[in-house]
This record gives sequence, C-alpha cells and structure tokens, in this order.
Amino acid sequence: MRPDSRSRRQLVMMLMPYLIGLLVLVLLPAVITLALAFTEYDLLRPPRWAGLANFSELIDDPIFRVALTNSLVFALVAVPLRVLFALGLALLLHRRALGVGSARSAAMLPTAVPEIAYGLLWLWLLNPLYGPINQVLRTGGENGLTMLGRTPPQWLTDPTDARAAIIAMSLFTMGETFVVLLAARRALPRDVYEMAALEDATGWDVFRRVTLPLMAPVLGLLLVRDAVQSLHFTFVPALVVTDGGPPPYATTYLSLFVYRNGFEYLRYGYAAAATLVMILLTVAAVVVQWRLIRRYRAFYRL
Amino acid sequence: MSDPGLLLEGVSAAYGRTPVLRGIDLTVAPGELLVVLGPSGAGKSTVLRVVAGLEPVTAGRVHIAGRDVTTDRPGRRNVSMVFQSYALFPHLSVADNIAFGLEVRDTPRAVARQRARAAAESVGCAALLDRRPGQLSGGERQRVALARALVREPDVFLLDEPLSNLDLALRTEMRTELRALHDRLGATMVHVTHDQTEALVLADRIAVLRDGRIEQVDTPDAIWHRPASAFVARFVGSPAMNLLPASGPFTPSGSAPPGLAAAEELQIGFRPGAVTLRAADDEAGGSAAVVDRVEVVGEDAYAYLTLAGGPPVVARVPADRRPVRGAAVRAEVRWADVHVFHAGSGLRYSPS
Amino acid sequence: MMRLKALLALLLCTMLAATGCGSGSTSPGGAPVRLLVFGAPEELAAYRTLVDAYSKARPGTDVQLVEASDRKDLLARLATSVAGGAPPDLFLMNYRFYGQFAAKDVVEPLDDRIAGSSAIDPGDYYPVAMDAFKWGGKQLCLPQNVSSLAVYYNRTLFQKYGVAEPKAGWTWNDMITTATAMTRDPAGRVIKGTESEGAALRPALYGLGVEPSIIRLAPFVWSNGGEIVDDPARPTRLTLDTPAAREALKNLVDLRLAYGVVPTDEDVEAEDDESRFANGRLAMVLSSRRATTTFRTITGFEWDVAPLPVYRGQVGVLHSDAYCMTRGSKNKDAAWKFLEFAIAEEGQKIIAATGRTVPSHIAVSTSAAFLGPAQPPRTAKVFLDAIPAVRALPTVSTWPEIEDATGGILENALYRGDKLDDVIRDLDEQTRPLFARGEHG
Repeated sequence: MRPDSRSRRQLVMMLMPYLIGLLVLVLLPAVITLALAFTEYDLLRPPRWAGLANFSELIDDPIFRVALTNSLVFALVAVPLRVLFALGLALLLHRRALGVGSARSAAMLPTAVPEIAYGLLWLWLLNPLYGPINQVLRTGGENGLTMLGRTPPQWLTDPTDARAAIIAMSLFTMGETFVVLLAARRALPRDVYEMAALEDATGWDVFRRVTLPLMAPVLGLLLVRDAVQSLHFTFVPALVVTDGGPPPYATTYLSLFVYRNGFEYLRYGYAAAATLVMILLTVAAVVVQWRLIRRYRAFYRL
Repeated sequence: MSDPGLLLEGVSAAYGRTPVLRGIDLTVAPGELLVVLGPSGAGKSTVLRVVAGLEPVTAGRVHIAGRDVTTDRPGRRNVSMVFQSYALFPHLSVADNIAFGLEVRDTPRAVARQRARAAAESVGCAALLDRRPGQLSGGERQRVALARALVREPDVFLLDEPLSNLDLALRTEMRTELRALHDRLGATMVHVTHDQTEALVLADRIAVLRDGRIEQVDTPDAIWHRPASAFVARFVGSPAMNLLPASGPFTPSGSAPPGLAAAEELQIGFRPGAVTLRAADDEAGGSAAVVDRVEVVGEDAYAYLTLAGGPPVVARVPADRRPVRGAAVRAEVRWADVHVFHAGSGLRYSPS
Repeated sequence: MMRLKALLALLLCTMLAATGCGSGSTSPGGAPVRLLVFGAPEELAAYRTLVDAYSKARPGTDVQLVEASDRKDLLARLATSVAGGAPPDLFLMNYRFYGQFAAKDVVEPLDDRIAGSSAIDPGDYYPVAMDAFKWGGKQLCLPQNVSSLAVYYNRTLFQKYGVAEPKAGWTWNDMITTATAMTRDPAGRVIKGTESEGAALRPALYGLGVEPSIIRLAPFVWSNGGEIVDDPARPTRLTLDTPAAREALKNLVDLRLAYGVVPTDEDVEAEDDESRFANGRLAMVLSSRRATTTFRTITGFEWDVAPLPVYRGQVGVLHSDAYCMTRGSKNKDAAWKFLEFAIAEEGQKIIAATGRTVPSHIAVSTSAAFLGPAQPPRTAKVFLDAIPAVRALPTVSTWPEIEDATGGILENALYRGDKLDDVIRDLDEQTRPLFARGEHG
C-alpha cells in the first residue's frame, strides 16, 4: 500500500462520522424539504404534488413579500454593523492593558447565553415603561420624556424602533466574530506597525493603509458567514421579543414566516417553498461575496 | 563646528523593570557609518529603537541633526529604519511599499512614484516595482527595504541587522553594496550587527556594546589593534584572542613593558596569529605545549594547545605546516604582539 | 481494510437498531398515557392535580403531562409529533384551533366509546360545548369546560372610589361610564386617558382591559344583532361591514381613542392586562374563566366577575377546551380510561375545584364544587347564567391564521386609530383567501 493512499484512507475514516452526520442530519432533511416545496403538505396527511403552486402563491403573498424585504434590509444593515462592531472591539481590546481581559469576556458573554434566555433578557431591557434602556433614556426628562423632550424609542410598538431593536440584539452576539478578529489582529506583525509609526502614519492612516487591508481576507470571510447566518439571527428575537410585530408584520422575517406557516398553520409545503427561496438567496449572497473576495485576493496577494 | 548627525547623552532604557541601556553616550558625525556591535542581549537593537522613538528613554537625551527629539514621536524624528524582518507591507506592491512614507505624508502620487522609482534604481530593484513582497527572494526584499528607507532622505538611517537573514554569499555582496551606497549618499547611518566581520568591513567607527554599556567606540583598526578591554579583545576576532594570567606559566619573549611586574594582577592577551609554533627541541625559545586538537580552515589551521600546567591557547599556523594531534611543540609570542589587561576590571593596562 | 469493514458493520447495526426502535414501539400495557397541554403555571398545576387524583383512584395507571409553553408551541408540537409518527395519546385544545386537526383526520372519533361507556352520558353535558367538537357529524373530542367571556373587576377599588359595580343587564354605555370613572391618576383623581399620549400624566389606573381580537369583538357584534361571518357553518368571509358589526367595532376602537379607558399599546407591551389587573392597576378586564386560576393568587384586593355588557340582547362567546384522542395513539384504551375519568363527575369536580374550569358537566357546574363560596369569584353563577346565550365561533381549519391576521389589523385599529373603513376592508381582504383555503366540519 502506498503511504499516500493509506493516509487518504485514514483521512476518510476520520471524516466518516462527520460525513455520515452531515448526510443523515443535514443534507437528507434539506433535500426532503426541497422536494416538499413542490407539494402540498400539512404534516398530517401525505404530501400531494403541487408543482409550482406554492411558488406562485408566494409571489402573490403580501406577507411573504414583507418578510423578504425585512430579511434583506436586516442583512444589509445588520451584517456590516456586526462585523464593524466586532472589528472595533477587537482593535480596541487587542493590546494588553488593565481591564482588557474582563472587557473581552464581557464582549463574549452574550454569545454564550442560550438564545431564548437572551431573547427574554431583551424583552425586559426593551420594556417601554419599566425596561432599563428607556429608564436611562428618561433620566433628566419629565413626564416620561427624554432629557431632550422627546418620546423615548417605542421598541416594541413602533415598526422602525422594533427593527432597530432586533438589529441591536443581533449586534451583541458577535462574540465569535470578535474572537476571530482579535486573533487575526494579534497575528499581524508588530514591526509593520512600527514601520508605519516611523512614517508618521496616524491612527486613521494605519487603519486604512495597514490594518484594514491586512485583515481584509478574514473580514471578507466573516461577512460571508454572517450573511449566511443573518437569516437565522432574526428568528429567536422575532419569535420571543416582538412576535413578528408591531402589526402588521414589521419584524416578520423569512425565518419566522417559515416557522409560522410550517408549524403553526401546518403549511409545511408552503414553508418549504419559502425555505427554498431563502436558500437560493443565501447562495446568491455567498457567490457575490466570494467573487468580491477572490477579486480582492487576486489584487493583493496573487 | 556643525552639529553631530546623532547624539546620545546618558541614554538609559528599560523593559519593564529590567534595565537594557545604562547611560549610553554616543556621537555620530554627519555622514558617518557607525556600527553597533555586541552579543545578543547587549541592547544593540534597543539603541536603534530609542533613536527611532519606538522605545522611550528612562533617562538622557537624544539629538538628531542638532534637534532634541527625546520626546518626539517616531514620525517626527525624520529617521528611517530597515528592520531585520524588512517589515514590508504584504498587501502593497514594491512601488507602493517604497512610496508608503511619502503617501502618508501627502506627497502627490506622481511625485511619490517617481521618487520611489529613483530609490529603487539606486539599490538595483527597479525591475521589481510591480511585484508583491510575497514574490521576492530574501535579497530582493532586502533591497526593497533599503529603497524604502532612503526614499525619504532622512537625517539618520537605522539598520537593524539587515543582513542577518541572508545567506553568506549574498550577505558579503550586500555588505559591499551597502558600504558603496553609504559612500554615494554620504548619509548618517547606524548599523546594528552581532557579526564582527561585518562590523570591521562596513564601519567608519564601531561601538562595542556590553550589557547596556558602551565598552569602546573607535575605528575598526583601533578596535582590532588597541581593544580597550578584554571583552572587546575577545569579542572581535575569530577564534577569539587568547587570554592568560600574566604571572605565568606562559611568558612572551622580548622585553616586557616597563613597570609591568609592579602592577596588580594582570592578564595578557594575544591573537592566535601572533603565536609562532616550533618543534619541541627547537632551542630558539617558547613555552612547551601539547597539541590537543587541530582545525583546518582552508589555507589556515588552528592548533589548540595545552601549556604545561596552564590554560589552553589557540595558535594559527599555515595549513601545510600544521602539527599533528598529540605532538609536543613550543609556542612563542613576542611582547610586541601582546595586549595587557587588568585582571579585575578587564580594562587595558597602560603603563604610566 | 478490515477496520473499515468493521466500522461500516457497526454503523449499519446502530442504524438498524435506531429504525427498529422507531417502528417497533407498540406500547406495552404499562406505558403511561401522554397528555399534551399548555397554560399558565397555575393552570398546569390544576392539570397536575387532576392527573394525581387519577393515579390515586386507579393505581397502576399512569398519565404523563407533556407541557407546551404556549398555544403556538402546542400546535407545533402536536403537528410535528403526528408527522413523526409518535403523537401524544391525548391533547387538550380549544374548539377554535382543533379544526385543522379535525379536518386532517388526526383526531379519533369517540362516538363508539361514548356509546359503550357506563361513565359518560352525553345528555349530562352542555350541548353548546358538545356541539362545538362535532366534526362531520362525529363527536371528535369531549369538552371539559364551557366558559364565556366575563368582566373581572377589582371590587376593592370600586368600593374605594364609590363607583357602582357592574351588574347583569348593564349596557355598553354603562361600561364606558364605569370605565371612565375608574381611570385614575396616581393621586386617585379621575383622569382622561387620551391625554396621556403627550406630556400629561399617565393614568395610574385604567378602567378596562380588552384584547383587540376577533374573539373579543364577536359577542358584541352578536349582541348588537350583527354577524361576524357570512355563514357560521361554512364561512367564506368576515361580515364586519354591516351596520351592526361596524358599530360594535367602532365602539371597541373608541375605548382607546375617544375615551382612553384602555391601556396604550406601550402600556400593554410593558405589562399585559392580566398582570396589570393582578397588580391593581386595572379596574376591569375582559377574560374567560381561564384567568381565574391566576387571579386566585391575588392577595391584595377582592375581585369578582360580572356578565358582559349588552347592546340589544345578552350574547356570550363560547370558550371551551376538550380532550381529544389522536388517531395515531398506541395506547387508546388507557387514554380513554383517563378521558372518562376527567370528563365524568369526579374528574370535573376535581378540576372545577382548582378554579380552572366552568364544568361542562351540568350537574357538576351547579354543585358546590363550582359555585361553593370558598374561593373567588363569589358570583361564579355569572358564568352559568351566560351559558344559554353563548354562541360558538365558526370552526374552520384555517382559524389560527385568521386570528393572527385579524389580530394585527385590530391592534392597529385600537392603538393607532387606523381609519375604520380601511380596517374593515383590510379585515375582509386579508381573510378571504384564508377562508377559501379552510376546511369545515
């Protein structure tokens, strides 16, 4: 046996448990779901072939359109914000200094909280009258107004404020992104920064000309990952905190739309069709970003 | 008299609580190439980093071209530095790397480009301008780093072991080029190395550093022929200078310096090349010794001797006349070739 | 090579074992009956009491409560477990939501078992509740309770402010007057809640809590002589555009916008009506019997119930939950035994004592087990008096979707003051496709 083929066999053996899990737990259900998108299926009776009926209904469904728009807007706003937020924290906390260790742990903490608990926590934080956020905003103001004499944000009852609240919730779970960026920043060579200092590059110049380009490949990957994940970030917050509202559907995202149709209204086939649209969108986003990254790499690294 | 290119006055520096530099006084004349030489941990690189402003001083002042820059930030000192690792920006082309400092200082792009090209030409890397650091060999990177250092025409060039990552042949070649470049530019340069050959070949003057203090600053000739201390004497030269107690058993021939016997405890030192070996039965003189080991380096051979009842001594002999191992020989050194040091302080003994 | 084969064999074995486990689970005699329920902690405690009593009465039999977090969670769990081939044996569900399962043949008809039972006589139960769980002429589930909407009120506060307590036969206008008189600022002065939107003081006490939903609106539409759907048996659309329905809807919306006696949406998000009532910050709240178990934990004040106000005639809306057996249950006989116990006199008395239900068993509902004055509400008879005039909402399989869609529109109508014409049009337009997709019993 050649050592080459032997090591390959070993590789296959070691990958086997993962591959089997992937196949049985992820790929198979995914394929079945996709097949169900072309059927009428209520989970209770056997699926019936429906062709493209689900898709034509989706096109006419105003709720689906709202959910789709909400999801796209969320991804466009929240994904860059998340990565920027994590980058800012990573650049702030990559040095050794007093309190940096605790600050890093604090940045990681929200990610470690179970999702439902995290949602319930925010439900309390965002409570319009008794929640700490609005309590703070009201300090110094009178009659329930802020110091500037304006009504504090109506997190759970105003559509825009509610969307902002969901985005804010997703920002604080960037712990993983933060850790990756922290590691990436710490891996950058020190002498390059000393070089920049000798050339009198100021903070902004250093960020723009050195840090950003050197971290760009990692940032690109994280953007792709977050874009893929963004469809899922919205689910628990929308389910637990806003229940898809304020009415009619201000924070109904695709994930919640799929959940409601699939499991509350027993329209599994219809939900599967919406899922398929979701997957196609994700793939499209990944392809676009991947191409951008490849172009970037070709430009800088070759 | 014009201001010195670089002046350090009583400069001390520390990493945390560990002192690294302990009161360095150093003057580098404009256009001079000073080499800072010393073993690892002597604080050589720290000297450069203090001049560049990358490390703060704990005491003393730093002057560059007549300006006190002690508290100025690195970018305001008008120095440029070549790092041991070259510190090239991997995401920038060679041209952009060289022009980086100019562009940061808002030089118009066309001007920056043109000056980058000129700098690249002067170190012979103009052909590489469009490449990226990842595509360059070690020597090419070295040239790019040099070009980047000189494009801005700084008051002082600081070179931190720039040749240590190159192979021997390339190092020798670059050494020569570096010297030629210096002569052409007439720039003030401080070059740090632990390689004594590099120091001897390159330097106008050498500053030998030991444990954060300067042992001696002088021309390569003076460093070689009149080392100020036993440390300098041993550090410069390979194999190192032989160092023995003056009281015996080895006694040089000829007339000893006056007053030698009256002085306190002394050591005598002589380079391997100063030793003459003779056959054991040669009546001309010398101390009896036994050959322990012989190393042949091309035309030369180094014989490691044990003196009767004394310490080992290294002697350089022509390879074709080397003794065999175990042979009994006589070793002779003339007083004229002997350096005398105080045994305690290690300082050079000078008869008063 | 050998290792690979061994590994594959091992894998195959585990897979076979797993599938074997999935298909071959015909339950042995001793397996517990699984009952899927949801509710507030106090309600769940009531069910636990019932289950414990059953275990004591019939040693050796075991019922396991499967607790869902809310109604939506229960629906999702039921649907997925049926699809997965391992449904609970019994589930407890409101007639408004059982339609989608009834239509899809998931529920086991109980007619034969009822006929063969010595413990259950259908004539002992309120027909309105029994009828609500008939689908296609078959009795699919057996109701445990028959409740109507009632007005819970804080008697202590009414006495404190000297406002007349609501009583049978009061009108919608009486209710507005009462609610206005009970809307108070922190100092206890009557305050107009509509001013609270701006810089003025927020009421510390609101007069009335009502959820903007079709099920709260329905009894008032009926009372005013209107209908909420075109055909209660086979509805195709909402009919809130008739003058009678429109008036009832307008009056409901006015509670917030014109009178300011109900909390703002901000208030509701901060503290829901039940908590607000329990915390003494709400004078009256419209709710079914369900709220009783929670309100019995109130210690700070005395509370009671009153009938709904009327427009022209007294009409109530049916609230009823029933035990349903899944067709896929592998433990049907044991499940039926528990169902018999829960529905028959003994079980109904136990659960009635917890406060959770207005018993569907007529004799139990008029017995001391329900009417006994041991615990509030004192005037429990209000619930019984309402039963003859109670009407059921249409049972259509897409009703959950209809409630969700109308809920959002009505919420905006009440809190944001959307134009009434737009509200009525949106309600109609958005629910038509849902009715069209629905299946009927």
